[in-house]
Amino acid sequence: MNNSLSEILSELKADFRNSADLTIRDFTLKSKNNIKAALITIEGMCDKEQLAQSAINPIMSYDFGALDGEEAADKALSSVLASSDVTVFYTKAELITFITSGFAALLIDGAEKMFAIGVQGYSFRGVAEPESEVVQRGSREGFTEPLRVNMSLIRRRVKNPDLVFEQATVGSGSRTQLMLCYLQSRVSQKLLIKLRKRLKECDLDTVLASGYLSEYLEDKSSSRLFSGVGISERPDTVCGKLTEGRIAIIVDGSPAVIIVPRLFVEEFQGVDDYSNRTYYAAFIRVTKYLSFFLAVYLPGLYVALAQFHPEYFPTTILIKTSESLAQTPLPVTLEVLAITFVYEIMKEAGLRIPKSLGHAVSIVGALVIGESAVNAGIISSSTLMVVATAAICGYVTSPLYPPVTMLRFIYIIIGGIFGLWGIVLATAVMIISMCSKTSLGVPYMSSLAPFSLRTMRDVFVRADWKTLSKRIIRVQRFAETEVDE
Amino acid sequence: MRAKLCIILLCLSSLTLTGCQSSGKIETASIIENVSIAEDNGKICYTFYTLTGGDKPWGIKIPASSFESACDLAEREYIPNLSLSKLELLMIEDTLVDKVMKNDIEYISTQPSFSPAALVTLCDKKTIEKFAETTREQNLIEEQLILLKNNNPEVNISYLSVFNNFESDKNSEFTVGYITCGEELSVNEKKLKKD
Amino acid sequence: MSSKLRFSSKRFLLTLMLCACSVILLQNYDLSPNASFTFNLICVASGLAICFVLFIPAIIIKSRTNLDFLTVAAVKTPRLKIPIAVFYSVYFIFTAEFFLLPYTDMFRKKYYYDVTPCLIAALLLITCVYAAIKGVNVITRFGIFLFAFAMLTNILMFGGSLGQMDFSLNTFELTGGFPDYIRNTLYFVTPAFIAVLFACLSGKTKNFRIRQTVFALIFTGVKYALVLFFIWFALGAYAQRQEYQTFLLSRAAHFSSFGGIESFYLALATMSVFMIISLMLCAVTKSVKRESDLKTVIIFVVILFAAHACGTYLNSVKEILTNTTVFVIFTAIAAAVIPSAYIFAGRKSNARKALHNITMS
Repeated sequence: MNNSLSEILSELKADFRNSADLTIRDFTLKSKNNIKAALITIEGMCDKEQLAQSAINPIMSYDFGALDGEEAADKALSSVLASSDVTVFYTKAELITFITSGFAALLIDGAEKMFAIGVQGYSFRGVAEPESEVVQRGSREGFTEPLRVNMSLIRRRVKNPDLVFEQATVGSGSRTQLMLCYLQSRVSQKLLIKLRKRLKECDLDTVLASGYLSEYLEDKSSSRLFSGVGISERPDTVCGKLTEGRIAIIVDGSPAVIIVPRLFVEEFQGVDDYSNRTYYAAFIRVTKYLSFFLAVYLPGLYVALAQFHPEYFPTTILIKTSESLAQTPLPVTLEVLAITFVYEIMKEAGLRIPKSLGHAVSIVGALVIGESAVNAGIISSSTLMVVATAAICGYVTSPLYPPVTMLRFIYIIIGGIFGLWGIVLATAVMIISMCSKTSLGVPYMSSLAPFSLRTMRDVFVRADWKTLSKRIIRVQRFAETEVDE
Repeated sequence: MRAKLCIILLCLSSLTLTGCQSSGKIETASIIENVSIAEDNGKICYTFYTLTGGDKPWGIKIPASSFESACDLAEREYIPNLSLSKLELLMIEDTLVDKVMKNDIEYISTQPSFSPAALVTLCDKKTIEKFAETTREQNLIEEQLILLKNNNPEVNISYLSVFNNFESDKNSEFTVGYITCGEELSVNEKKLKKD
Repeated sequence: MSSKLRFSSKRFLLTLMLCACSVILLQNYDLSPNASFTFNLICVASGLAICFVLFIPAIIIKSRTNLDFLTVAAVKTPRLKIPIAVFYSVYFIFTAEFFLLPYTDMFRKKYYYDVTPCLIAALLLITCVYAAIKGVNVITRFGIFLFAFAMLTNILMFGGSLGQMDFSLNTFELTGGFPDYIRNTLYFVTPAFIAVLFACLSGKTKNFRIRQTVFALIFTGVKYALVLFFIWFALGAYAQRQEYQTFLLSRAAHFSSFGGIESFYLALATMSVFMIISLMLCAVTKSVKRESDLKTVIIFVVILFAAHACGTYLNSVKEILTNTTVFVIFTAIAAAVIPSAYIFAGRKSNARKALHNITMS
């Protein structure tokens, strides 16, 4: 602090445009020189009681005698401030960062150094089980919004000095803090450099959630249908990924933690798989793959078969399907498209609607759109069943829901125009696109393509813990990665 | 923009030119399950029975000299979206064996759109009349033929075998299923000379 | 996709094996009707043995230099760059047509009777452009999925045909004469086109072992033998009544009342042809330029499409483009004659030095 206290304070007020929440408590220290000091906070972000106990009371009651500003600051740091979290800083930029993060800043006139006192006391949502990643057995804790709380949730699970939290800031306007989190001995340095570079290149003005960053972390030439960036709200999942050499990015204000690199096979792995018996975990995995397949292809195949190859239906199903479709006004492709679209509308409404009204919406959906439409002959029961099955299957692998939904629509249209052949060709293109995708240099389809037998122990089946714990396969060890060391 | 325009043009041309618009849609397709060939007032008649969930079979009788011409006529004048890809049973009246059997089966065997899993059998006039009454009879005959084939390896009437018998040089005669209708339906074997 | 990245040679050979298997997949009864099943097995063995012989020059070049033939040729004889590029471009277009024409023909005759073959070819070629731009590495990754799907299709096709097996339909006797032997063996030499693909694209692979080639050809032979076995003993004479016997096999196969296995066959045939043409496009751009780019690929696709249109509407062109004998001779020149010339001749010291430098880099 090269300028006088009053100058700094007036500059600060100007910077904050005299904002009402900027609180400046200026006072005079008990000393022969009448040294002026100020405590700067942002309204509502500090715990006032803690601030009084750790800073205001001790500093105002302490007699600094004949010390000048600089000596008084040293004394305050060494003997007066009763807080365990005091950081010394020197610039105005740091001052702004600290106070906007909930710290109280102590400025003493004539002293070059300034102090940030950790008395954050803003209200936040408590640690609770994340709704999107519910598990049967396992921790009920999920990430919450404040960065420091999320860091502690990880640190509590990995009590290892090897765990590193590396601070960074993104967003030229919002100056959002984020933490890169990794295990130093396991992470690939090339991967780390690549990630830092990508974050540096991020030219966003405001970052309000981790999702904002996802696009910047994707490899440039890769297809954007599937995401090469993982998101989790569970600390145990994140810790598991860190042990495999991955990097987590905790964004302040967001409970969703980014994990990179993300592979396709990971979408089918769940926390419960590792708690259940191996045979059951394998069964669940296979079920998930099957569900993914049904969610993407079932409506498209149904349309293709009904339009072009009705003979492929078994006789009894063929009779029932043709009878029910003959009574409906729309062609089968349009009917499937319409029901799928209506379902998506209902899903969105269900998500946004107040909980008290949710029950009413489900009744309307199930009875009016479902049963009544079938009874009235507007839609056929077989079509409804196909769309409903695909919709339910789509939720089995919920992180893949966006690409699955898009692909479902694409396959319905292609199936309706080109039949089975079109679906086959579109599948070939999709596989090529997925095989060419990389997530920070690691092939997205790793384990399957490029195929690696040793990593298959945790793909379609989950090997027993004795086998799994023998050697942890780090992400940079997958075949054909660009971050191999 | 140019790429998008190309994609739209390609989609439109594919829709109109690839022939996909004339697909056999499930709700309009007339899927034929069984065909019977019988003599009616001195004319050979081909009856096409469509796939139905009801008890009463629905069939169209078409007088023609061969199965090929019957199919053409049916598609042109009676059943516009005729599909024989799910043909299960072809019944031929015993008196017509020499007139139609070889030619018709040869025709079926060369058509890729016909089901290769069709069963072919001979039967008497009464069976054909009964066959037109209920779908139950049709299913019963099919079951009996499958049983006959399973229990008797000599009988090679069931799918593909007939074609082989016509082609093979080894046998001068072959065995087919023969259904007669007394008080009840009975399924037996009948030996036929190849020529 | 990083072009510097070298991928597993095993995976490349797996992909080539799948390409070789598609020959029998699109089989249009080009075999002599006088030859028995056992006789055909001998022809399969002989044909694939010749394939291996045609593989040898490419294997030698790969083992010695760890480079593909086209790079070696460009370094050793820079003056012959254009003739070599023209020859291989023509060869790859010819090979692509050799598969594309029967495929669209089969498609029209067996699946969609009203379809315009040229438009089907156009759509297929457009998707191939996308794959070709992604490169050989990505196509071989696709090959892994295709391999899994091929396994499933084969299990369904052969498993569903088991119920119709009848050994009285045909015999195991060895019948067939010398002309039949020549004709059938020639047909089973057609998979040798994978030797040319190997010669031209193997520069991007690592950890090559000769046994990979042997296994690929053995598995191809097993697949051929199985298809022939089921055609002979499950379809019998019915197989001779229609074209595309493997299609017939899949159409006749069924589990109880569940049929429709021909849809799996259609998918497998489509994806195999898609993969072959994509690899051909990669190879053809490699013969012209070192790395694939969109413009070159599009130019060759337009040529391919024009050739296909001519083949569809002009019977004489089709006769030439799908002629097995012409194809085998062409393949023998591309796989063995030209690469052998580079092995035995042109051992100039400066060329070897340049080659050595490239190998080291």
